[in-house]
Amino acid sequence: MTATVDPPDTTVLDDEPSRPPASMRARGLLGWVTSTDHKVIGLAYIITAFGFFLFGGALAEVVRVELYSPGTQVVEPGTYNQVFTMHGSVMMYLFIVPMAFGLANYLVPIQIGAKEMAFPRLNALGYWLFLFGGLTMVSGFLTADGPAAFGWTGYAPLSEAIRNPAIGNDLWLLAIVLTGTGTILAAVNVVATTLAMRAPGMSMFRMPIFTWNMLVTSVLVLIAFPILTSASVMMLADRLLDAQVFNVEGGGEPVLWQHLFWFFGHPEVYIAALPFFGIVTEIFPVFSRRPVFGYRGLVLATFTIASLSVGVWAHHMFTTGAVEVGYFSALSLLIAVPTGVKFFNWIGTMWGGQLTFPTPMLFAVAFLILFLLGGLTGVLQALPALDAQVHDSYFIVAHMHYVLFGGSAFALFGGIYYWFPKFTGRMLHEGWGKAHFAMMFVGFNLTFLVQHVLGLQGMPRRVADYLPEDGFTTLNRVSTIGALLLGASVLPFLWNVVRSLRRGEPAGNDPWGGQTLEWATTSPPPPWNFDELPPIRSNRPVWDLRHPPEARRDPVGTGPASKDP
Amino acid sequence: MRPRPSARLGLVVAGGLVATLAGCGSSFGIADPASEQADDVFGLWSPAVIAALAVGAFVWALIVWSVIRYRRRSDALPTQVAENIPIEIAYTVVPILIVVVLFALGTATQRQITEKVADPDATVLVEGFQWSWRFTYEGSDVIVSGDGAGTNGPELVLPVDQTTRLKLVSVDVIHSFWVPRFLSKRDLIPGVDNEVDVTPNELGTHQGRCAEFCGLDHWRMNFRVRVVSAADFDTWLAENADTTTEEGGGG
Repeated sequence: MTATVDPPDTTVLDDEPSRPPASMRARGLLGWVTSTDHKVIGLAYIITAFGFFLFGGALAEVVRVELYSPGTQVVEPGTYNQVFTMHGSVMMYLFIVPMAFGLANYLVPIQIGAKEMAFPRLNALGYWLFLFGGLTMVSGFLTADGPAAFGWTGYAPLSEAIRNPAIGNDLWLLAIVLTGTGTILAAVNVVATTLAMRAPGMSMFRMPIFTWNMLVTSVLVLIAFPILTSASVMMLADRLLDAQVFNVEGGGEPVLWQHLFWFFGHPEVYIAALPFFGIVTEIFPVFSRRPVFGYRGLVLATFTIASLSVGVWAHHMFTTGAVEVGYFSALSLLIAVPTGVKFFNWIGTMWGGQLTFPTPMLFAVAFLILFLLGGLTGVLQALPALDAQVHDSYFIVAHMHYVLFGGSAFALFGGIYYWFPKFTGRMLHEGWGKAHFAMMFVGFNLTFLVQHVLGLQGMPRRVADYLPEDGFTTLNRVSTIGALLLGASVLPFLWNVVRSLRRGEPAGNDPWGGQTLEWATTSPPPPWNFDELPPIRSNRPVWDLRHPPEARRDPVGTGPASKDP
Repeated sequence: MRPRPSARLGLVVAGGLVATLAGCGSSFGIADPASEQADDVFGLWSPAVIAALAVGAFVWALIVWSVIRYRRRSDALPTQVAENIPIEIAYTVVPILIVVVLFALGTATQRQITEKVADPDATVLVEGFQWSWRFTYEGSDVIVSGDGAGTNGPELVLPVDQTTRLKLVSVDVIHSFWVPRFLSKRDLIPGVDNEVDVTPNELGTHQGRCAEFCGLDHWRMNFRVRVVSAADFDTWLAENADTTTEEGGGG
């Protein structure tokens, strides 16, 4: 009983109905670069961010190979410092966040039954700022003195011109301003789209969790990114105009940079995590054939995480002796609570379901296992007495990679396997997908599990070398071998994409038994997204289409509570 | 009916894991403590890790149990339960209680290790610079300074079982004073006056490192801490009074 309704708000969304879809007026490459179609821009974000991911990954391999043994293997300390700086910067600024907004660009309008983003041209501007900002940052490699070399955190006064005069550092700061502005524009667009463009029947509490999380993420972006871009402008003023904002000899305050940076930087951690929590929350229900367990609690937990995340920045500064540690310790510990709630939501979704394990679900389950470890080590660091030992050590490197790679990147690959059929109309190959998953899971844990011990035993992060008598050699070798396996895992993935684009199994509209609106349209969707929208009477309209009697009897989220989770 | 066996399974697995790890030594990978303050940190570390691993083992067990028990076995539609308020309240309140306890323990330890004595037995000015250290013993004008070469760095001599105050000052960028076996570090920041008290309780030489990235040769901004008896310390001070030693090359 496919109910048909008119596409929503035709008159509002299409201001020039007599012309071809405003989003795509030219063909080929010109069509791509002039497009304002949210799907084209979304894919452009995803492809560009993935390119930066490959580049950042290659830099990580240089870091790991250099640390395979004491002494110089491939790069001298000066180059090493540039390489680890650019690895962190590329991954944080040019990969993980733009990737999240790429997925949001593609999926949020479709998930809420809209034809476009609220501001299509602003959307395109955001992408081009990201692309050219990113190229600005990595163009430091083409300069005589190389790229920035002060860590992705750019601490003052090391980032002042007198300490790091190379122009690569200015390019880095300029890139932060450009990409930051692009991210702000993308966030404005997501907020406006989710608030104003939802289809009839799509109330806020029927939005898919991925869309919810992108809305909350975007609000966080609007809080955090203006601080970072302003701080970068201040640092540029210090470097180029001889301002003294962060320079203690001129009456400035180096610690101010840390406050500004982490006031951005801690929300940033959740900006780099919440979208990926959203992805797994799309995957678990579909492959469990169940609704999201505790939908409202999950949304509330997301709000709580976002609210707390703007009040915990100085837990990165416990060892400065310049902050009130008790307050920041308490708030940081509290964040564990809503994050823990999410775990029980995810487990509760699987509980009592009928689980299948195609590649997206494998990545989602691995996300649960790995992100949990990252979360638990995070709780330990929230205690200032323990942070004093692990801060700035390899323990932190391990922790942040369990959160951002074991968490976000595993969820991201789950999302790519899940939505690739929607983007392209073809399935990725399951066998290659499982090979990719196995290599990535084993390689990741080999690389990062041992780094916890290295840090606890005294290996600082960001060191270009260590001594034979330090006793760090064996574990570093394990880590490097794991990193090579982890790096190699991208090969089956790339091959999978290439082969599947040409001869992947046709996907059809809904290959997984999806629940949310993107599975109600063709793969890929037409420029106007929907020929017809199903009625939206719960948070899973496509499921309701397949199970009409139950949908009528017990709308999801409003049915009577059961003793069985 | 279903939560019960899994909860039991989770507890058994959690208990087993914790027992195994505790049996392997309760240090959980952290360096051996070598000062009174480090003993306090260690006293927080072990129970905190055990608590974290217990929670982790419980949740990992739930995940594994779901994956095994609820594999698809038929085409029957599973129950479509979307919420359960009592359980949701429980899994919100229990974590709150856990973090409240952790906060109380953590704050108590933090107070202990940052507590400063009224009258330290010795006071050393610790200056960090790109890329070495200078130690100035107040009251006796003994100065030990790194020469910036090699990888050993200068030696900080401290009396055992006595409390030494370290005044941490940076002369250029941010550094961080870290002796891994003291289980603690503190930053040296231009414009910030930091002081810590340390009471070493184990004789011997311990490795020290700069933990905050400070530029080109950050990786070899090392130093050593030699802990000697109080009598030896006084002798050493007397022998080196009013002298400046440059050392650290080699290694």
